[in-house]
Amino acid sequence: MKSKNITLIILGIFFLLFPFIIKSEYYQHLVIIALMWVVIGSSWNLLAGYTGQVSFGHAIFFGVGAYTAGIFVTKLEISAWWGMLFGGFAAMLIALFVGWVCFRLRGPYFALATLAGSEIIRLVATNWESLTDGMVGILIIQSFRSKLPYYYIVLGLAAACIYAIHLLMKSKWGYYFVSIREDQDAAESLGINTTLYKNISLLISAFFAGSAGAFYMNYMAFIDPHVVFSLHYISIMAILVGIVGGVATIMGPAVGAFVMVGVQETFRSAFFGVAPRWISEAHALVFGLLVIFVIMFMANGIVGDWGKIKRVLLGTRPSA
Amino acid sequence: MKKLILVTVLLFSLGLLAGHGISFAEDTIKVGIVLPLTGDQAKFGEIEKLSFDMALEEINGKGGIKGKKIELVIEDDTGRPEVGRSVVEKLITKDKVVMIGGGYSSSVTYAVAGVCQQNQMPFLINTGAADKITEQKWDYIFRLNPPASKYSASVEELLAEVIKPKTVTILHENSLFGTSSAKSFEKSCEKAGYKVLLKQGYEAGGIDFKPVLTQVKQLNPDVVYMVSYVMDAALIMKQSKELKINPKMFIGGAAGFTLPEFQQNAGAASEKIISATLWHQVLPFPGAMDYYNKFKAKFNKETEYHGAEAYAAAYVIADVLNRTKSLKNEDIKKALSETDMMTAFGPVKFTAWDKMTNQNKASSYVVQWIDGKLEMVWPKNLAAKPFVFPVNWLKVWGY
Amino acid sequence: MTVFLQTLVAGVLIGGIYSLIGIGMTLIMGVMGIINLAHGQLMMVAMYITLVLFNVLHFDPYISLFVAMPCLFLLGVLIQKFLLNPLMKIESILPENQVLMTVGIGMVLTEIIRFIFSSDYKSVKTPYSSSAFFIGDISFSLPMCIAFGVALIFTGLLFWFLLKTDIGRSIRATAQDKDAATLMGVNTGRITVITFGLGSALVAAAGSLLLPIFYLFPDVGGPFTLKAFVITILGGLGSTVGAIVGGVVLGIAESLGATYIGMGYKEMVGFVIFVLVLVFLPGGLKRLTKI
Repeated sequence: MKSKNITLIILGIFFLLFPFIIKSEYYQHLVIIALMWVVIGSSWNLLAGYTGQVSFGHAIFFGVGAYTAGIFVTKLEISAWWGMLFGGFAAMLIALFVGWVCFRLRGPYFALATLAGSEIIRLVATNWESLTDGMVGILIIQSFRSKLPYYYIVLGLAAACIYAIHLLMKSKWGYYFVSIREDQDAAESLGINTTLYKNISLLISAFFAGSAGAFYMNYMAFIDPHVVFSLHYISIMAILVGIVGGVATIMGPAVGAFVMVGVQETFRSAFFGVAPRWISEAHALVFGLLVIFVIMFMANGIVGDWGKIKRVLLGTRPSA
Repeated sequence: MKKLILVTVLLFSLGLLAGHGISFAEDTIKVGIVLPLTGDQAKFGEIEKLSFDMALEEINGKGGIKGKKIELVIEDDTGRPEVGRSVVEKLITKDKVVMIGGGYSSSVTYAVAGVCQQNQMPFLINTGAADKITEQKWDYIFRLNPPASKYSASVEELLAEVIKPKTVTILHENSLFGTSSAKSFEKSCEKAGYKVLLKQGYEAGGIDFKPVLTQVKQLNPDVVYMVSYVMDAALIMKQSKELKINPKMFIGGAAGFTLPEFQQNAGAASEKIISATLWHQVLPFPGAMDYYNKFKAKFNKETEYHGAEAYAAAYVIADVLNRTKSLKNEDIKKALSETDMMTAFGPVKFTAWDKMTNQNKASSYVVQWIDGKLEMVWPKNLAAKPFVFPVNWLKVWGY
Repeated sequence: MTVFLQTLVAGVLIGGIYSLIGIGMTLIMGVMGIINLAHGQLMMVAMYITLVLFNVLHFDPYISLFVAMPCLFLLGVLIQKFLLNPLMKIESILPENQVLMTVGIGMVLTEIIRFIFSSDYKSVKTPYSSSAFFIGDISFSLPMCIAFGVALIFTGLLFWFLLKTDIGRSIRATAQDKDAATLMGVNTGRITVITFGLGSALVAAAGSLLLPIFYLFPDVGGPFTLKAFVITILGGLGSTVGAIVGGVVLGIAESLGATYIGMGYKEMVGFVIFVLVLVFLPGGLKRLTKI
């Protein structure tokens, strides 16, 4: 127990001081993006890893949050930062509808329905030009030139998200979530209102994903339907972050986020300029291989299967 | 497990510090270029990259900038605006380039321009055409190519003087370029008194355009105007052929319609199609025909206006770097604003007009695919071959 | 009226290709409950094989069909045997692992192809690529009619195969109840491998037929996978006739949507149908009949 707290404190200090240690904006950018994925991955994990509802459409919430912030600027002419407050709530509203439609479906059908839902919303956003400017997208001017404010905001969001999930899973609700994941019918027969708790899990998950989306709007300053409602770059990435890091663990998605962003950029930049040019083309291939590898051999992710990894790498015997 | 997190974080930071330390010889002047090298706009990115490379070889071969060579740091925006933003930030902060060039897709260019302006980094756009981009009063952003609304200027002359249509249908891809081109063409039609019967946007990459083309056939317009990237352009024409649509003329709004790939993929369906264009090798600009021939000899493929834009941009960049007082942002910006030169693409001078700033006034022309080759047909005094009109499409297509 | 008829014809014809893509998936999903998110990528691989045969050996795509199909059968078999079957035995928190495995497989296939062929758009030009014949005022695209015909033939063949042959019956048995089938002496491990191979071969056929009409690039598969899902759910899992009907319904719905609502909404029609069917008609059209 003690060592866990010390590690967390060291980590906390590291992240608080990070932008002063590494001054390069390029690396700060990478860490900001990774922290954003910590939020998205953790939120997905709450719904999928802990509650067993594997969503393939998390982009819905991310995108709605992003567009809320963006539309505040284009239609209401108020700062996109209000979106950080309301993006999460907007995502929750959509989540209510998504839950109503999709929760009557189980397992893979739920997954497919959320996938379809995400594509539908993407197409709506593309075509509803009077609201979203369609494929032209929304471009705003960043509020801050320096990356520091963005860094601390997303760091705060990530910390809040992880802490909230931590508290949640320690509470009675957490047990309800897991029982739904393990056997929904048994849970229902024990008197747990599975529909209610599935929706609670969904709403909290959507809130954080939506807030991350609003952050994205403020930070990247440009969004369009293809970017924020992307099946491949948002929904599936969220799943990969969760799976690679470790589903149903608190820190899993956090680890997953850094690994995935790290791998992606390492390859895209050809090992930061050291390796030959063609390696950068390979980053997507490495992703794919990583997914296959993780699912085959480390189904519980880096965090979940940490014991196994230690055994393989260090040859240590499992502690009794 | 907690140790794992510590280790991961430490490794990550070590990696960052290591990568940070590695840099290359500083005896070149670095210019960042943003182009789509992969993704669905890769073909355009490729022509531009090859043109940039060719121009660079020539410029550095003649001594570069006062003895120093120019180094182009070319980054792939993959056709996505958010990637464009990231790579430009990298170019500015990590590679420390002195200015940025390139910019193909309007959406990406717009996002990239935003970043450049914010960072006070001079950006010379050579292809991204949406009017909006130079209407923001961004003083660090300069554009060599004309805005999308002016692409069809020459076509409109042709319409007014020769074709004289009464009705028009407009089909366009729905990103920034297609949408703004279509809007401005619609306005021009309304001004000229042609009735716009249909204006529809579509998402690039579709398989089946028959539903909307059937409507077009039903409406029987005099002119079918299309704004598409290359593969959609080929499909639309092939399917128009299948449906036996027979207007007075099919007109492309540049982009996909001038690429050799359009003719290769559409085959017979590309014959006699006309398109707006911004350049052709027969134009009386110094080096135009040389560029065309040299490119063909070196890379064994045809080039067209996108390549010419890149080629000319490289020369403008070289000229700017030669004239600038120092490599500081404000001095390069000043040198850019004072540009007044002739290139293989045409004259380049950045002025403020209409609602735009730092915008070069380039002309547009009209080309037509005749016997599988892209020929310049309008304005008449510059045309290499006579314009073929009227066209019996059913006969051209072999019905 | 002409517009309506032409739209209908276009929809039915493209529906034929959709059906062929869907049949492969419904088989895989019906028999093994495996959601194959790499389905479109398998088709893409077949299309590249067809392209290479066209460029190097000058094989017409309709002939390459007979080469691409066995190749993809083999690929499918390997994937199922080495990557998917083992997953059934792994204890993991989330049962959706195999879906994600197919995502990974799809990504790897796409990237390997991209590495070999680059992201360039490729197409084949055959003499009949854009030829059409006319009945009255309505244009019928020749390659699409051929594709439609072939789809019907393959459905018929598959139907016969599933009904009359031993392996076919074993497949249906495994689809109905895997454990009971094992008890009855069916080697379900082998059956799942064969089924995946068969599904892959069918989507390969669709690919070869699609190549003359469309164009090819490494990312072409994605949207087709999604369409295959819509068709599978619409027609009902494991139902071959359902796939044909589902494919045609989707094709017509998309066409009508494109004409009367707007081209931008074309894709959405499919997804809306998908969700509606999932919610209101679980089991798909199959439930309405009995096939």
